Amino acid sequence: MRSQTPRISFKPTLVLAVSLAILLSGCSAHQAKNQKPDDSTLQQAAPAAPELESEFELEEEFAEATEQPPLDPLSGYNRLMTHFNDKVYFWVLKPVAQGYRAVVPEGARLAVGRFFNNLLMPVRFTNNLLQLKPKQAGTELARFALNSTIGVLGFADPAAKHFDLQPYPEDFGQTLGHYGVGSGFHIVLPLLGPSNLRDTIGLIPDHFLDPITYVDDFETRLALRSYKQVNYTSLHVGEYESLKKDAVDLYTFLRDGYEQRREKLIEE
Amino acid sequence: MRHLFFCILLSLLCIAPAAADDQTEVSKLLQEKIDAVVVLLQDKAIDKNDRNAQIINIVSPIFNYQTMAKLSLGKKYWPELSAEKQTEFSNLFAQRIQESYLEKLDIYTDEKVVYGQPQAVGKQIHMPTTLVAKDSKIEILYKFYHSGSNWEIYDVEIGGVSVIQTYRSQFDGVLSEGTIDDLLAKLKTQGAFQIPESGEAGG
Repeated sequence: MRSQTPRISFKPTLVLAVSLAILLSGCSAHQAKNQKPDDSTLQQAAPAAPELESEFELEEEFAEATEQPPLDPLSGYNRLMTHFNDKVYFWVLKPVAQGYRAVVPEGARLAVGRFFNNLLMPVRFTNNLLQLKPKQAGTELARFALNSTIGVLGFADPAAKHFDLQPYPEDFGQTLGHYGVGSGFHIVLPLLGPSNLRDTIGLIPDHFLDPITYVDDFETRLALRSYKQVNYTSLHVGEYESLKKDAVDLYTFLRDGYEQRREKLIEE
Repeated sequence: MRHLFFCILLSLLCIAPAAADDQTEVSKLLQEKIDAVVVLLQDKAIDKNDRNAQIINIVSPIFNYQTMAKLSLGKKYWPELSAEKQTEFSNLFAQRIQESYLEKLDIYTDEKVVYGQPQAVGKQIHMPTTLVAKDSKIEILYKFYHSGSNWEIYDVEIGGVSVIQTYRSQFDGVLSEGTIDDLLAKLKTQGAFQIPESGEAGG
């Protein structure tokens, strides 16, 4: 019986399709005539008419962002800082991370990364709550409880592995964005890299939600933060280099990439 | 008016199942290509240049480099170029996209690809995939359009960052201050995939 059902519905569909095809062929011919005069400049590049049409549609998707170039009052400073951060990466961070990578096996470095990530639960938890995502906040709490105990201080991630509890990273910049705060102008921060006004302000509350902030000794704090960065970089050597090769103009590339990425994260 | 109404109704009835078929087709097409690339990547014995050439042969039919090149310049700049410049630009751009793609494959060799559900966005079809890396997940969205004969990719979004959009801003930056020859020169020196100096574009 089941196999017959599609057949029955197939017949009327076929009839409709044929009649529609006739109707549409009239329509599309009409459209093509209407469009011709405007598109004469592009004809040589795209001889096929249907292709031409769809390309103009595609253009719409990107046109908006380019028509209004982003506000960038700090571009001079930002370019300098991009250059500075770039040098810090190649002269300091990368060599140190590569040395560290040569000594410490990958499994251990992944575990250390998970440990530091687990520590940031308060940031994710709070911002999920602020965005009224109680379920995600709850998941973050559950992850923290599981990973800090069974996962031995967060070095392992049994929550994701065995309980399918995935992290929901949210920060205060995203929380602000969630409530409609615009990004403001772009700012490249020393050492931290691309940011914007909104996300830079967002760093302050997040800073106070980061347990490392409450380590008493300044030098220990600095060491912990540096180690965290070196460990992270050791797992991602080559990615920045590869990104950089994609850039025709590094600053514009990183700025645009950052802003698009943040938009996407806020949207989610 | 009544005719128009029926016309619309008829088209809705027909397009719905057709669109679902298109989505399946796009999904299948992309998976076929990626699977074929993965097979090549896992073959450690093969010569790298040979491998890269084969990979490009596999994926090129679904990447419409010409459309990508046009979109990256946009209506604002593309129509103003002479036919030769358009060709020169398209070729340099295509080379760039290919080299960039191969380069990314070198970084993420052993990662798993998870396919999402294809989504119809206007007349286009977006195919989300996730690259499961060691300590993170990277979302890669392949955007397909129907070129008249085939479903082809016109843009790729990596973690929400559109390749075409990023090129548009950069090219717009270069072209608002310079000429197409400046841009071509930049693409030529960097088409060979040397690392650009971060300071040189400062202005």
